[in-house]
Amino acid sequence: MSTDKKPLSAKARAVGERIGSLRDFLEFLEENGQCITWTDEIMPEPDVRNIAVAAGRDSMNGPAVIFNNIAGYPGKKLVLGVHGSFTNLALLLGHPKGTTIKELFYDIISRWGDDKPLLDFIEPDAAPVNENRLTDNFNLYDLLPLYRINEYDGGFYIGKANVVSRDPRDPDNFGKQNVGIYRIQVQAPGEFTLLSVPAHDMGRHIMAAEQDNVPLKIAVMLGNHPAMCMFAATPVGYDESEFAYASQMMGSPLRLTKSNNGMDILADSEMIIEAELMNGVRSFEGPFGEFPGSYSGVRKIPRFKVTAISHRNDPIFENIYIGRGWTEHDTLIGLNTSAPIYAQLTKDFPEVVAVNALYQHGLTGIISVKNRFAGFAKSVAMRALGTPHGTMYLKNLIMVDDDVDPFDLNEVMWALSTRTRAEDTIVIPNMPMIPIDPAAEIAGKGHRLIIDATSFMPPDKLGSDSKIVTPPAGPEIDEIAKVIQLLQNGGQL
Amino acid sequence: MSTCPRCQAAEEKIRAEHKGLNAQGELVWTIFHCNACEFTWRDSEPASTIDYNKREAFFRVDPEKPYPVIMPPAQYKK
Repeated sequence: MSTDKKPLSAKARAVGERIGSLRDFLEFLEENGQCITWTDEIMPEPDVRNIAVAAGRDSMNGPAVIFNNIAGYPGKKLVLGVHGSFTNLALLLGHPKGTTIKELFYDIISRWGDDKPLLDFIEPDAAPVNENRLTDNFNLYDLLPLYRINEYDGGFYIGKANVVSRDPRDPDNFGKQNVGIYRIQVQAPGEFTLLSVPAHDMGRHIMAAEQDNVPLKIAVMLGNHPAMCMFAATPVGYDESEFAYASQMMGSPLRLTKSNNGMDILADSEMIIEAELMNGVRSFEGPFGEFPGSYSGVRKIPRFKVTAISHRNDPIFENIYIGRGWTEHDTLIGLNTSAPIYAQLTKDFPEVVAVNALYQHGLTGIISVKNRFAGFAKSVAMRALGTPHGTMYLKNLIMVDDDVDPFDLNEVMWALSTRTRAEDTIVIPNMPMIPIDPAAEIAGKGHRLIIDATSFMPPDKLGSDSKIVTPPAGPEIDEIAKVIQLLQNGGQL
Repeated sequence: MSTCPRCQAAEEKIRAEHKGLNAQGELVWTIFHCNACEFTWRDSEPASTIDYNKREAFFRVDPEKPYPVIMPPAQYKK
C-alpha cells in the first residue's frame, strides 16, 4: 500500500539517518529533554509501576524513563515510556516539541507505504545483537529485570516485544513473515506463553503449524528501533512487511540480519529470544491489565520453549506500562491505527479528511468527511466498519464534517451538540468484536454505534435556516497559536 | 513459602524460580511459580498481590475449573 508522498524534510532525513537503534533514540531523546534516568534504588514492585504511571500522565510531553538501580537486578537496565508521549514521536519524525497530533497524523500519512522499502542485510557475525549468545541454561528471570506490570497480573509480562514468525505454509515469503507485538508471560526460566488469536497474523501461523504438525520457530526481538515498535503494532495487510513500512516511514535503511532459527531480525536490537511453539500445549495465562483499562481474564493459551538467546553487551530491557488510559500503549499505536484506516477509506472515498482512532486502539473512532450528498457520512462509516481493523475494533464511530478537526475534542463535542439528532444514530447488534472489550455481553461479539454528527444538506431541510459563524481558522491561525505558546513559555519572537 | 497466593495449591506444587541478589551477593528476594495455576510472584511484593487473604477474591483461580482455551487444538485437527 502507498499514499502520495512528499519528500522528507532535511531534519527528518537527518534524524532517520542518525537513529538506527533503541540506544540511538534514547540518546536523542535525552538531548531533547525527553528521557530521564531514575538512579535511586527502587523495588521491582510496586515502584516501577508507580513511576511509569506518573511519567505517563502527560501524553503530550512525558519522558522516557531509564531505571538502572532496581533491587535484586544489579547492573540491569530497564526503560519505559519510549513512545509514551506525542513529543517523543514528533522527535522521531524530525519535528520540534509542540508539534500537534494532527500535524503528526498528516506526516505519517505522507510517509505511509511499503512500496519503497529501505532494508540493508548484514551478516549475523557483524550484528551487534549477536555480541553475546546463549544456547542452554536459559534464565529469563536473570537476563531481564522482570516485574509485575499491574498488581493482579498473573505473572511477569514482556509487553513490548516485536515477535517475528513465518507462515509455515509459505516460509520463504518475506511479506507473510509477520512482526507483531503480543503479550508474553514468562512461565519458567526458559518458557513463556504468548497470546495471539485467529484474527492476528501470528494466530494464523500458530494454527497452521499445529494443523500440519510442523515446528513454528519465532524470534522475540526486545529493545528495538522505535519505528519497528510502531509498525509491529500496526494492522497492515497479511502479506505486507512491517520491516518495509518501518523503514519507509523513517526514510532511512533498517539493518536486518538472520536469526539462527531463520527469521529476519533487526541487527541492532538489544536482545533476540529464539523460541519454538510447544505444539498442542496450552497453559494458564493472565489476568493481564489490558488496553481497554480492565483485566482480561485467565485463559489457556499457546506455550513456547526458548531455544537460544542473543544479546548486546549490557542489554536494555524495553517494556511498556499498559492499563487504564492514557498509557504508552495509546501513544504507541494511536496514529498507526488511524493511518491505515484513513489509507483504506480514501481509496474509495477521497472525501475523508482525517481519522482519529487514538482511543483504546480504535474502540472509539472519529472520522471527518466532506459529505458528497445527504447521508454520505453513514456510508463512509459502514465502509470503515469493513476495514481490517474496523472489523474487530471500531465499536463507536463519530462522523464529523470536514470543518471539524477530529483530533480536537472541543470541536467534536461542538459537532455532537449542534449537528446530531437522535435518528442519526445507528446501532448494529451482534457484530464481531475483540474478546477483551469489557462492555461485551458475549466475549467476541458486540454492538456497533454510529453517530452521524455531520451537518444536514439537501434534500434534508433541517437546519437550513441556521448559518455557522466562521471564526478565523487555518495555518495562519495555527501559527499565531504557536507564537502565543512560545511567548507564554518565555520564548521570544 | 507455604501455599500459592492465588489458588492455595500446596507447597509441593510451588517451585522457587530465581533468587535476586544485590551487588554484594546478598539475597534480596525470591521468585516463585505455582505449577497448579501458573501464578508467578516475588516474595517482596505488596501483600495485596501475594497474600491470599488480602488479594481481591475476584482474582482467585481454581485450576480445576474450565477456563477458555485460545485456539483449542482439537477444534482444527484435520
